[in-house]
Amino acid sequence: MLMRETAKSAWRSLASNRLRTLLTMLGMIIGTGAVVAVLGIGEGAKSSVEGRIRSLGSNLMMVRPTFIAGAGGVRSGSAQTLTKSDAEALLALDGVAAAAPEMSASTQIRHESKNQNASVVGVTPAYFDVRSLAIGSGVPLSELDEQRRSRVVVIGANIAQDLYASSSPLGEKLQINGAAFRVIGVLAAKGAGFGSPDDSVYVPMSSHESALFGRDYLSSISLQLASEERAASVASQTEQLLRLRHRLRSEQASDFEVRSQAEMLETMGQITGTFTALLGSIAAVSLIVGGIGIMNIMLVSVRERTREIGVRMAVGARRRDILRQFLFEAVVVSLAGGAVGVGLGYGAAQILARFGQWQTIVPPYAIGLALGVSIIIGIAFGVGPARRAASLDPVEALRFE
Amino acid sequence: MASPSPIVIDRLSKVYDSGRADLAVRAVDSVSFRVARGDSLAIIGPSGCGKSSLLNILGCLDRPTEGSYELDGRNMAELDDDELAALRNRHIGFVFQSFNLLPRMDALENVELPLLYGAVPKSRELARAALDRVGLSNREHHLPNELSGGQRQRVAIARAIVTRPSILLCDEPTGALDSKTGRDVLELLLSLNAEGATLVTVTHDLSIARALARGIRMKDGRIVADADAASVVAEMHQSELEAAC
Repeated sequence: MLMRETAKSAWRSLASNRLRTLLTMLGMIIGTGAVVAVLGIGEGAKSSVEGRIRSLGSNLMMVRPTFIAGAGGVRSGSAQTLTKSDAEALLALDGVAAAAPEMSASTQIRHESKNQNASVVGVTPAYFDVRSLAIGSGVPLSELDEQRRSRVVVIGANIAQDLYASSSPLGEKLQINGAAFRVIGVLAAKGAGFGSPDDSVYVPMSSHESALFGRDYLSSISLQLASEERAASVASQTEQLLRLRHRLRSEQASDFEVRSQAEMLETMGQITGTFTALLGSIAAVSLIVGGIGIMNIMLVSVRERTREIGVRMAVGARRRDILRQFLFEAVVVSLAGGAVGVGLGYGAAQILARFGQWQTIVPPYAIGLALGVSIIIGIAFGVGPARRAASLDPVEALRFE
Repeated sequence: MASPSPIVIDRLSKVYDSGRADLAVRAVDSVSFRVARGDSLAIIGPSGCGKSSLLNILGCLDRPTEGSYELDGRNMAELDDDELAALRNRHIGFVFQSFNLLPRMDALENVELPLLYGAVPKSRELARAALDRVGLSNREHHLPNELSGGQRQRVAIARAIVTRPSILLCDEPTGALDSKTGRDVLELLLSLNAEGATLVTVTHDLSIARALARGIRMKDGRIVADADAASVVAEMHQSELEAAC
């Protein structure tokens, strides 16, 4: 029998019982919709994390203190062993173009009646270059500011917006932890959410130490590499040098970690990937449930249409014609459900992106995957009922009431 | 194909045993006969005499337990399921008591169905011609439930003849119709027979049986009479009378 006739016959049978067809499709709609939406959210999260990491700068390598395990393995804080002289020593390494140490702390900042919590970062002038932070207005911190322990500050775009509203913050005062600082520059907005430079303020490292927090250990050192290819060699040199400087014996673990941007990307990619896979597989369970729904309805349909099957066999349908007819119906139901689900999942992803905090990107492969899986489920769960139909005895089927 | 006898049945039996040999039922018991091309044959007998079992085998819907059945020179025992389907498709036209039209298809599509399974080209035109032959060309796009009983049976007959089969197998073709439309349907079948179709009809209705050329009477799976229809019917009355006395 021609494919066109099979399709027509399937359509007629499905259209003759619309509510039932719709309810059967619902399982597939929900399943594929959930899978597509979850993949969209996962892909969006991945790309926003990647964007954040890339926006840190190019050819970047980060040295951070490791967490110290306290009693019972509880993290009690980070190691306080990374120093400015470590940063200077690292700058001397072959392949390191720049080293930018930073010390950061979170505290209250205030301008006139407005105040908020912000991350206050003590940096050297090189920091802005290394971390690709562009100055939107005003000037960056200078070497002189560092030497003089000037109480000057460069603020992130969001801070400027929040505390100074429409007026220019340049030359204005900013109270940091009770000490008065003068705003000399505003960073160009960088976007990207939590922990972004837009929500931070930058002071000379010397002022950070003396006027604000009185601590001299670093929260990280950013190294700019001369080229990406040097990453591995710089990493191992850094490791060796710092272990030496920190006087670590060979059996002791490092009190710092060295990570390249590529590694960070990879790690975050793995995390979001695992997360997406987990959520996706939960969503996929509903696809199985949808498949069982299809199987159930197909079994009912085969029973209801036993006589029709008998008639078709009597006028010359071969077993495989009957098999194909019912299999086709199952696939049509699951594929149509899958297509509707893809549409709804895509829509849900768009709505989340517009009204929620999430960036969502529905990758094309997700749509192909959802439709492909729909077809496979239609076949997998349709083949049983279809075989039952095809194996009916024509005499029995014709006699069936 | 040009064999003078499209149907040759030789010592054919159908035994139903539900797992136990002592409960086996010989629904058809060593039956032999031939049907010549263009003949019209009525198979009569009481319920349970094996008519339906025999008809199912004649229609290649069921296989005999013993004996042989040749349709147009092809021995059914040698054919697999697909070949039997092809045989039903091309060589046999079925007319059922309850019409058995597919409810969601209109008249024309019902008639076209066997041609689609046979992958016959220009199926639409052939279906139209068959519907025209039974006098229903103005009902092409009516669904079965929009047609009267007589019209439905005509559509079913059109479906049976559309592949130009060698035999037309009818199972109580007028059983679900009132006597007037029943007669019309019989007229139609007879005129198709006159045009060359071989007609085999299982029936309770003796007036139908009498209208055909030849009669076979069955009892307990065996043929008890095989002659011209009128005398078989007369002989049946006779034996029933004797049994009553």
